[in-house]
Amino acid sequence: MSEESAREEGRGPVSTAPAIATDGIAKRFGPVVALRGVSMHLDRGEVLGLIGDNGAGKSTLIKILTGFHQPDSGRIYVDGKEVRLRSVSHARSLGIETVYQDLALIPGLSVYHNLFLKRERLLHPLPFLANQEMRRKAVDWLREMGVDIPTIDAEVARLSGGQRQAIAIARAVYSEARILLLDEPLAAMGAKEATQILDLIWNLKQRGQVSMIVIAHNYAQVFTVCDRINLLRHGTISLDRRTSEITVQELTDVVVEEYRRSHQSA
Amino acid sequence: MVRDAHRLEPDEVRDGDPIGNSDVLRTVLGEEAVERQERAIRAGYRPTRRQLLRNLGIAGAAASMPGFLAACANSSASSRGGQGNFPPHPGWKFTFINHVTTNPFFQPTIYGIQDACALLGLPTAQFVGSENSIVSEMVDKMNAAIAAKVDGIAVAIINPTAFNDPVARALEAGIPVVAYNADAPAGSNNRRMAYIGQDLFLSGQKLGARIASLVKEGPIAGFIATPGSLNIQPRIDGAKQAIQASGLPITFTEVATGAKVEDEKSAIEAYYLGHKDLRGMVAVDAGSTQGLAQLMQKYNLPAQGIHAGGYDLLPTTLQLIDQGFLDFTIDQQPYLQGFYPVVQLFLYKLSGGLQQPSDTDTGLLFVTKDNVKPYLNTKTRFEGSSSKEQVVKAS
Amino acid sequence: MAASTPNGIEEPGQARREAMALRRAAGSFLERRWASILVVAVALAAYFAVANPAFLSGNNLLTIASFLSETAIVTAGEVMVMICGEIDLSVGFVAAMAPFVMYFVWNDAGLPLWLGVVAGLIVSGIVGLVNGLVTVVLRVPSFVTTLGMSFLLNGLTLTTTGAFPIQAPEQGTRFAALMGHNQVAELGWAIAVVLIVQIGLSYTRWGLYTIATGGNLLGASEAGVNVRAIKIANFILCSVLGGLAGILLAFRVSSIDPSAGGYDIMFRAVSGAVIGGTALAGGSGTVIGGFIGALVLAILLDGFTLQGIQANTFDLILGAAILVAMILNVTLQGRRQQGGQ
Repeated sequence: MSEESAREEGRGPVSTAPAIATDGIAKRFGPVVALRGVSMHLDRGEVLGLIGDNGAGKSTLIKILTGFHQPDSGRIYVDGKEVRLRSVSHARSLGIETVYQDLALIPGLSVYHNLFLKRERLLHPLPFLANQEMRRKAVDWLREMGVDIPTIDAEVARLSGGQRQAIAIARAVYSEARILLLDEPLAAMGAKEATQILDLIWNLKQRGQVSMIVIAHNYAQVFTVCDRINLLRHGTISLDRRTSEITVQELTDVVVEEYRRSHQSA
Repeated sequence: MVRDAHRLEPDEVRDGDPIGNSDVLRTVLGEEAVERQERAIRAGYRPTRRQLLRNLGIAGAAASMPGFLAACANSSASSRGGQGNFPPHPGWKFTFINHVTTNPFFQPTIYGIQDACALLGLPTAQFVGSENSIVSEMVDKMNAAIAAKVDGIAVAIINPTAFNDPVARALEAGIPVVAYNADAPAGSNNRRMAYIGQDLFLSGQKLGARIASLVKEGPIAGFIATPGSLNIQPRIDGAKQAIQASGLPITFTEVATGAKVEDEKSAIEAYYLGHKDLRGMVAVDAGSTQGLAQLMQKYNLPAQGIHAGGYDLLPTTLQLIDQGFLDFTIDQQPYLQGFYPVVQLFLYKLSGGLQQPSDTDTGLLFVTKDNVKPYLNTKTRFEGSSSKEQVVKAS
Repeated sequence: MAASTPNGIEEPGQARREAMALRRAAGSFLERRWASILVVAVALAAYFAVANPAFLSGNNLLTIASFLSETAIVTAGEVMVMICGEIDLSVGFVAAMAPFVMYFVWNDAGLPLWLGVVAGLIVSGIVGLVNGLVTVVLRVPSFVTTLGMSFLLNGLTLTTTGAFPIQAPEQGTRFAALMGHNQVAELGWAIAVVLIVQIGLSYTRWGLYTIATGGNLLGASEAGVNVRAIKIANFILCSVLGGLAGILLAFRVSSIDPSAGGYDIMFRAVSGAVIGGTALAGGSGTVIGGFIGALVLAILLDGFTLQGIQANTFDLILGAAILVAMILNVTLQGRRQQGGQ
């Protein structure tokens, strides 16, 4: 905590407004109420863990923050300024990128083509791809981020789940995103690969340029990289704690307790 | 235990000693093999019979692969013994280019080809082309035959211009070319040496005249598989012309039915059901005629005074003529369209060009209920209904 | 000879470096998708050449070019459509129609023949545009769209032309020779088209986005690729190439035939594409592979005719040969994938 404020002070007069914040976001799909009034915030340079049961509304919240859905009510603030996120491209232009579970990677294309998708470098003035340049840059990026893959020319289809996740995150990072939303990046991953992704997230945090929201289920994993936890239950944030102020066991107990309580009252 | 090689003592080697049959070795494996054997001998080794046989076996296996396919193609360029008075002659290879290779109409043609080739001591001519009257495919296969330097080509010229170049190239390469079943139109630049088949326009005229005399008035439909195709278009043109020339109050409409036998039947039925006022129907190819006959039977149209006729002798067509559902069909003797081209090309080759192929009409016979019985009672190669070689008693 | 560095590791000597470079080159050749089918094509050609010396004669090579050229051009277009996850069944009928458009523009409107060619290509492009719009905007599966279009075009061609073949214009002129009558010119067209489309596929954004659209439609659109535009563009390309192939064919046989093209050339093109490594489900493939696949088919059709195979056994043997070629191809591809990590 003190480290962070020190860092911010060191930068001089900088806005301390959260990277992104919401106030009373509600969303329903027909009779189903997904979000019931979500007020949360993500500070600059922070990694926020978003946890909750399936169907609690985590994906919906992410899709609203990324411009894919429009909320029925409530407000969104980016860098302290209220915005209405009209579309995914609009959100993108504000620096908000999402890495979805399906990763949006193209299996038949190489790693570097995937990294540069829609942002390809060309051999100006000809409309041809500057493959060598993109290859070199991709190798540099991945080395910087500590991502390990056999060859930059490999087709993404040939990579493991963890490697693909890393590429997807790398692509989002290098598209000048300032706010990164990661939808279950550790799903269906073995321990070793999960560790690699967590290391990657840690690296990104250390570099301080990106603020992240990570949706995850494994509390232990979440605790290793997240600064804060938001527990989403029944469409609202029911718990907001710093990971330094609570242990995994305590968190588990709280969640179980809430669960029991809600079931008794049902 | 047998030792594979017996090393010769220096005084045992004799120059020019024949070890293996070097003639056989030379033919099968080439000069190099003979040299190798001689070198081996000079080095002191005497190949055993087993080794020789093994060498020949390997060579034989390698040589037999193309032979397998050659067996499928019945090709062989070896000399043939003379038949009858003819002297021994090379086994000339002819190729027939056809437009509907799977159409049963040409089965008698294939038998005619086989019989003629056997009679004259030739390998069975190749019969290839397109299944659906695709002209470019026929042209391509004809070009392949020219490249293969066959000794004669017979081609069904179903397109007015597409075959001009291939025929010219074949002639320039010294390959005689005749047309069969379908001919280039009058005044065309096509240089085929002769046409063997039916006079198509004339047969159409006779068809038209006959149906006009039966129907006398009202609408008549003419079914054609692939309009514009030179083997059938002239027939329908002749029919139209004869009907108009008759002066009778008849309207004639041309209807396309497609080249596949299955499709032709449905197309004819569909047209009839939409035009129930028809008084007569004709078809100008084998498949359409069969379909037409079946239609006449299905709706018992003769009872309504409707008349129909067509071409060729598919079995169903003949049966339905016998039963009175179809008035007539025209026999163009497809067997002869395979037999005669082979004979003409053979004589051209045998005489070194002194005997040139000549236009040959393969005939035009109307088959009606009165004379259909012999066709029905026999299954012969001439009709394509049987592959058995037989002498058919006149009836 | 190997030299030792200070820390005792041997540096590879000249000979060994050359060997490694050679192995890397061979490896990168085999890495290519179309390497395996090229091997098959060479093997087939070798077989036929041994079986019949006429196979390698100049005359026959030109004949193979005839079997190959138009199909190869259609294959190039079909590969692009298949990579982005669709298929075009109507391209053979566009090929039949285009030379008629050319003829009407030249004969009835009295315009120069080259303008007729351009008109034929433009009309072909319009057909492709319709195919694309119906498939993408109206969400009709492309199989159904292009099937319907094929009947429509066939009927249109037959009715407007009275189903009669017409003699191709300007016979014997240099223009006619350039536009397909000369077999070498035709092969030149085919090679040019294949090269240009392959370069487009490998080295432009449009190529990348085509692969993206076919490989991960949702993901590509999430990433911002305009997948609709890509599909429509590829449909247009395929139809235009179909029209070009049809015009070349008409000049080659000197006849504009309403029954030309059709499903026959489309099946050959799709077969060539698949044999050459384009996935039926989309997402991967190369135009060069498709070209080699079409070449394999051309070699088979020509080689067997040369051998004297009879029509009735032709299909039997052709089918068996295609199966064998595909099995060989898949086996070699499997080796490639195992080796290539």
